[in-house]
Amino acid sequence: MRQRKLTREAHKHPVNRIHHDEATFGERLADRMSGLLGSWTFILTQTIFMVVWIVFNAVAIFQLHWDPYPFIFLNLVLSFQATYAGPILLLAANRHAQKDRLTLEHAESEAVQGEERLREILLKIKENTEYTNQILTELEGAKAL
Amino acid sequence: MNTTLEQLRHKKRAAIGHAHPVNVVHHEETTLGERVADKMSAGIGSWTFLIAQSVLIAIWITLNIIGLIKHWDPYPFFLLNFAFTLQAAFTGPVLLLAGKRQAEKDRLMLEHAAAEAEESEHRTLDILQETEQNTEITLRILERLRQAPGKAAR
Repeated sequence: MRQRKLTREAHKHPVNRIHHDEATFGERLADRMSGLLGSWTFILTQTIFMVVWIVFNAVAIFQLHWDPYPFIFLNLVLSFQATYAGPILLLAANRHAQKDRLTLEHAESEAVQGEERLREILLKIKENTEYTNQILTELEGAKAL
Repeated sequence: MNTTLEQLRHKKRAAIGHAHPVNVVHHEETTLGERVADKMSAGIGSWTFLIAQSVLIAIWITLNIIGLIKHWDPYPFFLLNFAFTLQAAFTGPVLLLAGKRQAEKDRLMLEHAAAEAEESEHRTLDILQETEQNTEITLRILERLRQAPGKAAR
């Protein structure tokens, strides 16, 4: 399982195979994007980027003031990020919902199969009981004779 | 196994003809509001939307930088910024709408799982009972064989 956590290929479960191994180009790209957006690398990079931007434009020691207070260009950049983050988030959510749907479908077919197996086992045991009963009856008959 | 894979591939493409009761209730017996919510999250969370948005932004910025036509929103693009914020303001609630719906499905899923578990336990108990009965008869046979002198015993 620890190894499976690291690799995303060659899955055993049919739903994982369809969802991860057989993903289309667009689906793979969507996974990559949401993976990148939802990573510590992204959050840390964004934080550093913002701090540097604000410090450079607010403190007088650096002679670069490309976006002075109230940081209108930074506001534009952040709005731009949010404009993309929303749809990418929904893309990931839709994909996850699809996987959920397939997981349930698979679980249902497994449940039907499992129920069938249990019924077979019960039937076999009942058959066995019947034969065992016949042996008992035969033995009792033999003793009476 | 292969038939399951093929069926699942087919179901991935079209969200109809579900076998699981929760899928049937959640995807096929939707109210108007739920359908609209699903359509919105599917629409915004799609490559079509992302690409169309990118093209629109690129055209907007280009036309307001170069001198082809009159600049309706010159740098720093206040109107574009407002449009971004407006989109984000709606995308957030749509996201939560989808999240709520998924949470509801999760709740139904667990309820169904509990009912299934109960039923399966009944089945298993039936099997256990039947096996115990069988063992009892087998034991009686063994006892009878041991009581019988000589030939049958050993």
